[in-house]
Formats: sequence, structure tokens, C-alpha cells
Amino acid sequence: MNKRTERPALEFAGVSLTYHTKQGETLAAADLSFTVEEGEFIAVIGPSGCGKTTLLSLAAGLLAPSSGSIRVYGEAPERGAGRFGYMLQRDELFPWRTVEQNIRLPLEIRRDRSPEAAERALALAEKYGLGGFLKQYPDRLSGGMRQRAALIRTLATRPDILLLDEPFSALDYQTRLNVCDDVYHIIRSEKKTALLVTHDISEAISVADRVLVLSARPARVVAAHALGFGDIAPLRRREDARFTGWFETLWKELNV
Amino acid sequence: MKRERKAASAEHKKYLKRLRRENGLVQILRFGLLLALLGVWELVAAMQWVDPFIISSPSRIARTIAELAADGSLFYHIGTTLWETLAGFAIAVVLGTAIALALWWSERARRVLEPYIVVLNSLPKIALGPVLIVWFGTGSAAIVFMTVLVGIIVATLNMLSGFLATDKNKILLLESMGASKWQILTKLVLPSALPDFISMLKVCVGMAWIGSIMGEYIVSKAGLGYLIVYGGQVFRLDLVMAATVILCILAAGMYAPVALAERILVKK
Repeated sequence: MNKRTERPALEFAGVSLTYHTKQGETLAAADLSFTVEEGEFIAVIGPSGCGKTTLLSLAAGLLAPSSGSIRVYGEAPERGAGRFGYMLQRDELFPWRTVEQNIRLPLEIRRDRSPEAAERALALAEKYGLGGFLKQYPDRLSGGMRQRAALIRTLATRPDILLLDEPFSALDYQTRLNVCDDVYHIIRSEKKTALLVTHDISEAISVADRVLVLSARPARVVAAHALGFGDIAPLRRREDARFTGWFETLWKELNV
Repeated sequence: MKRERKAASAEHKKYLKRLRRENGLVQILRFGLLLALLGVWELVAAMQWVDPFIISSPSRIARTIAELAADGSLFYHIGTTLWETLAGFAIAVVLGTAIALALWWSERARRVLEPYIVVLNSLPKIALGPVLIVWFGTGSAAIVFMTVLVGIIVATLNMLSGFLATDKNKILLLESMGASKWQILTKLVLPSALPDFISMLKVCVGMAWIGSIMGEYIVSKAGLGYLIVYGGQVFRLDLVMAATVILCILAAGMYAPVALAERILVKK
């Protein structure tokens, strides 16, 4: 992989985006600037409807900014370039495909038929406890296992940056804490850069190295905090003395 | 998730037994109802309470079918109608699905063609009868065309709504993987529209019979529809009823494989 560590993995500089509908135009983001360093886990929080998902679509090149520039390892983002792995609220596993076929889906899309790529993807599945489920259909898996399968599918093409769009919000509370812990460990041990958007303050604090706070629409970065938890796991962080402090800080900033 | 199969408790056995008994009862009542209706019909005709010339009777229908079978014309008429129905059904399904695909692919085409489809959908196809005769003559081609006409719009609209109902998030997921429109179609839209395809087949089976019989009413020299019209004109109610009974059996017979396909293909 052609990583250039001297450059940030992702850089937004003065990005604005305007949506056009028949009813009029909406400024979704205005002068949005931030950087994500390689290997960093960034959480983005903001009031609902502030355009968190839009931010991910911009990064992945699915939307083009109206002005400003986005750089991915110093280059303009390109749709389907394979830099990004996208994870959505629901696992979106295809029910007519087995777990293995689901995990291989992104390889098929990229027409990557090399046996190495398939082996690598399956090795990941084995490593993270999906080995016994490969030949089964997703409806036989629990919610947590399904989300794990979705993560392995995302990792199958070895993306540099993971874009996580509230990936735990469809799970019940207990599963959510466990899956969050799970996903955190997998992302850490695979040394991926991750950008998580969420409306859940506790979730942001429990996984991120840094938290960006967005304003209501048009979205701007109103604050950025390095949490300084290091490699403490999400469930441990929730017991940490600093957790409540960060929660209050972020809560206030969200409610300005 | 599937429950493990364990040795059933006494209570569960009792439950299963009750379930079996209920199902058995339904079967018996179903069959009994048919026998009772036929019996009453036969009785009313035999006792001359109503003139059997007008209402026919099960035994007369059976005799008529036997006569038709004996001189071989039964299979000729069945074959004619069956062929027309199946041909019309197949063409309507294939063309309807293809048109729906084209409309899914191009939003502009969809918007341009929408009013035409709405008008064609609400038009009673039988109004096109005279046009049919002029264009296709009085042979099977006219009837097949009528069958296609009745089925194709329904097939198109059903499949299009199925294609358009594809999960937006799954499309987004594929786009984020860099999928082309063709890949989105083949990997996602088509497989996820399979249940819609099956339910469209079910509707179209019914539509095909409507189309072929309607076609035979308008123009025909053979077929079950022809027998019904002919029987009506010469006041042979036995013939009308016999053809109708055979039609019922054929329609049910054509529905069965579709229902079977649904059970095999569509995962619940």
C-alpha cells in the first residue's frame, strides 16, 4: 500500500456544500475544515440533521463539495478508489448471500478475483470468530455477529480509512456496548484510520482519539478535543474518571 | 434462528396433535363442501325442480366431457387454449420485465412514459378487439396478442415497483464500494426483486387466462372460450359448464407450479 505518513489521511479545507431541491437550496456545510491523521480514530458528533452523513459522503467522493477542497492522502477523493470502507447503521448484509459471499461482495465489485484477496478476507473472518458461520445465511446470526460480519466485509478490500455512519445505533443497548468494544478492537488491531459519525456522546468518548463537534446546519467544526485515553478499551473508558468530564464538556458544546 | 430439535414434552405433543387434527378437519370440510354442492346441484336437476336444460347437472357435465374426450375434440380445444395462454403469459412476463428494467435504468424514460402507461393500464383491453381482428386475423395470433396485452402492463408495473423498492442503503453501500450501475442491477436489484417477480407471475397467470378466454370470445375457431361461446349460442349449457369446469382445473394447475417456485425460491 502506498501510504505516505507525512500527509494526513484525510483533509477537509474550507468545504461547503449546497443542496438543491425544487423548494430551494440548503447550505448543508459551510467552511468545514479538519484533518484526520493516519491511524487516528475520530468521532464526529453534532445535533441531528446537521449533515454528519453528508460529511462521510463527501469524504468517500459520493458527493462533490460546492467549494473548498478535500484531500485523501494528498489526492482528490475518487469514487470507488478503494481507499474507503463504508459501514452503515444497519449491517445491510444481503439475505440471499451466505456470510462468506457477503464478505466477498466488495471483491466482486472491484473484480478482484485473486485467490490472495479472497483468502485474506476469509482469514480476517476466521480471526474474528466468524469461521463457523461462513456457510450460513445472515438470518442465522445475532445482531452483534451480523455487524461484525459487516465490518469484515468492509475490511475485505483493505481500505485505508473506515467511514462509520452510526454503525451501532440500530442495536439494542447491551449489544451496542459489546459490538462497539468489538469493532474498536478490530479497527485498532488492523491499524485502520477511522471516522465515526454519531449522535451518541458516550459512544464518541468511548472509542475516539479525538472528537469533533459540529454545529447545527450549516455544519461547521465548533470544537475539537483530543481525549487522551490512549488505547483504553471502550468499556473501560466508561468507568474512567475523565469520562463524565468529557461528557459534560461535549454536552454543553452540542447545546450552545 | 432455528430452534434445536429436542424430544418434545407431553404438552408439546398434545399441541402438535391438536394442530394435525385441525388441519385434517379443514381438509375434510373442504372436500365435503364440494361434494355437498355437487350433490345438491345433481338433486335439483334430477328432481326437475329447475329445468336441467338451464342449469345442467354434474352428471350431464361429466357425460359431456366424456363425449368430447371420446371424439378427441376435448384435447384439441384444451391444447389450443393452453398454448395461447402459455405463449401470451411467457411473452407478457419477459417483455414486461424487460420494459420495467429499462424504466428502472432511465429515470427520464420513466417520467416520459408514465402517462402512456397509466392510460394503457386503465384502458379495457377488450376495446381493442376489432383492431385485433383486422391486424391479426381470426387465428391464434390474435388471441396470443390479446393475452399479452392484458398481462404486459401489469407485469411491467409490478416489476418496476419491485425494482424501485430496492433498499436505498444497500445501493449506497454498493456505490461506496465503487459499483457500476450494471453491478448494482445484477448484484442487488435483481436478486432483491425475486419475491416481486414471483408475485408478478401469480398475477399474470390469472391475467393470461382472462386474456386468452377474452380473445377467444372475440375471435376464434377453437379453444375452451370458443366452446363456451358456442355452447351459449346454441343453448347447450352442458357444454358451457363442461368447458368452465375444465378451465377451473387448468387455471389451478398453472397456478400450482408458481406457488411451488415461490416456496423454493423465496427465503422468508
